[in-house]
Amino acid sequence: MSVIETSHLTKIYDEGPVAVRAVDDVSIQITEGEFTAVVGPSGSGKTTLLNIIGGLDRPSSGSVKVADVELGDMNEDQLIKFRLENIGFVFQSYNLIPVLTAKENTEFIMLLQGVSEKERDTRVLQLLDEVGIGEQANKRPSEMSGGQQQRVAVARALASRPKFVLADEPTANLDSKSAENLLDLMLQLNKEENVTFIFSTHDQRVIDRARRVITLEDGKILSDESR
Amino acid sequence: MILLKVAWKNIWRNKVRSLVVISAICLGLWAGVFGSAFVQGMMKSKIEAVIHTEISHIQFHAPGFRDEFNGKLFIPNSTNIAEKLANDNEIEAVSERVISMGMLASANKNSALRLVGINPSDEKKVTNIHTKLVEGSYFETNKKRPIVISKKTADDFKIKLNSKVVFTMQDVHGVIKHASFRVVGIYQTSNNMYDKMTAFVDISQLKKLYELENGSHEIAVWLKDHDQAEIKAKGFQENYQTLEVKPWMDLSSGMRMMIEAFDVYLYFIVGIILFALLFSILNTMLMAVLERVREIGMLMAIGMAKKKVFIMIMYETVFMTMIGVPIGFLLSWISIQYTGSHGIDLSGAAYENQGFESIIYPYLEAQSYVEVTIMVLIMSIAAAIYPALKALKLRPVEAIRKV
Repeated sequence: MSVIETSHLTKIYDEGPVAVRAVDDVSIQITEGEFTAVVGPSGSGKTTLLNIIGGLDRPSSGSVKVADVELGDMNEDQLIKFRLENIGFVFQSYNLIPVLTAKENTEFIMLLQGVSEKERDTRVLQLLDEVGIGEQANKRPSEMSGGQQQRVAVARALASRPKFVLADEPTANLDSKSAENLLDLMLQLNKEENVTFIFSTHDQRVIDRARRVITLEDGKILSDESR
Repeated sequence: MILLKVAWKNIWRNKVRSLVVISAICLGLWAGVFGSAFVQGMMKSKIEAVIHTEISHIQFHAPGFRDEFNGKLFIPNSTNIAEKLANDNEIEAVSERVISMGMLASANKNSALRLVGINPSDEKKVTNIHTKLVEGSYFETNKKRPIVISKKTADDFKIKLNSKVVFTMQDVHGVIKHASFRVVGIYQTSNNMYDKMTAFVDISQLKKLYELENGSHEIAVWLKDHDQAEIKAKGFQENYQTLEVKPWMDLSSGMRMMIEAFDVYLYFIVGIILFALLFSILNTMLMAVLERVREIGMLMAIGMAKKKVFIMIMYETVFMTMIGVPIGFLLSWISIQYTGSHGIDLSGAAYENQGFESIIYPYLEAQSYVEVTIMVLIMSIAAAIYPALKALKLRPVEAIRKV
């Protein structure tokens, strides 16, 4: 069953002197439980594609369906609500809230969802243990390493029980050991919680571990390979 | 709850900046409250000086007397009217006065002067000139024809206690009269203009000079309740339609205009302070928002509703306001309490020449504290609206990429 379905998706940036087709006629289907890497050189359109799938940006033409819902029909406020309920985000630079602890950062999204305190506590502790930083729960981002912060970001992304997680270059700021650990973690969560992961990357270590690799070049799909 | 928590923690991210905003709120409130207290204190002392020293609460005159101080324009049967007024439950005291504009002469100088004939025991109940004596006594003497003059007059005329002065005036028939008086008391008020122009003698002697048998030029009334002056004067005017009855604010030249002007002045001062405060908070909160563009973008990206982002930023300002306001309030209260009892000496600023006390005792009604505080609160919250709206305009997709 398709979780995400794009049809002739095109995004054109025409703010500069020359119009740029960042995403050019992309049609893909991603099913539940996939572990997919969107790869390609810088400027190939990976992040733009992820942003459109995540409802952060709108396409110039074409359509995106997430869990049978057409994103193009939603206004800004509806999109925000949709993201809260359906999508987990992991950003390249972690983007944790600096004034909150690891536990509070993970819990934050559930508070926005109105989850009860009891359920929050159980879920947060479980997630932090799963991502291997249960003992760092009361530390703030500034007191943790990059790898640890990205683990918190993954825990936060999963806290809302999303339909899928979008990760934009999740290993870009990590050393090789932390990157390997994070990949192990995401694969484990993918298997154990059946979470669909889609990440943009040009990190070969990530590409090697992905079960499906969609390669973009100049906004077009160059190849779509399942392993 | 989480918004409150994040907002509270956010304000301590950059302690210096938050302390600047808190200090601005605190000082803005202090400046607004203390400025108001200073102006109110200044006006209060002026009003008290005018009422207690110069004119009392209400005065009765024959129509036209106050325009030209013509001695012929007196109140007939004034003693009967005064007695009747004295029986009014709302009146504390009544004093009749006879007034003459004439020339005062000493061996060294002569000059125009307003001589006021009073009954000292009655006058003590409606004005406090007897407490302003710097030398001599308030008609407690065996000397014939005593006169109480001001220190300003004594200095100008180079006279002292026991000196003789001659007063020249017209009686009610228009005949020029001379009379000599002996200085028995010298007073000094805070109003140089008043001091320069006013001297006091016993009413019987001035009546005799005037050849005024049953009448006086002025009846001064002291009310039990200061705030009733305007209403009571209006009531008396209806009852005594052949006379002119005025409350204190219409008797002292420009007093009503001055009170109104000071009110405007007060709002102007507070307005400028609050305007400066508004821009200070707006600037700082705008910096706080622009510094966190990526974070705010992330919050919206992961699903935080715009309304909540707006509320979070407003909470931050409200928290800082809630810290700044009580401190500013306390600071204002302490300042006003201290200066209100010790006074602020402005002797060098020549306020006396304008009829103001040289020492100002700041004073503020409880209501004004509340008004200024509410204004500061509203202004602080209003100042945060633009930065909060600015945050709402951020597009998550662009904001999360900002460095």
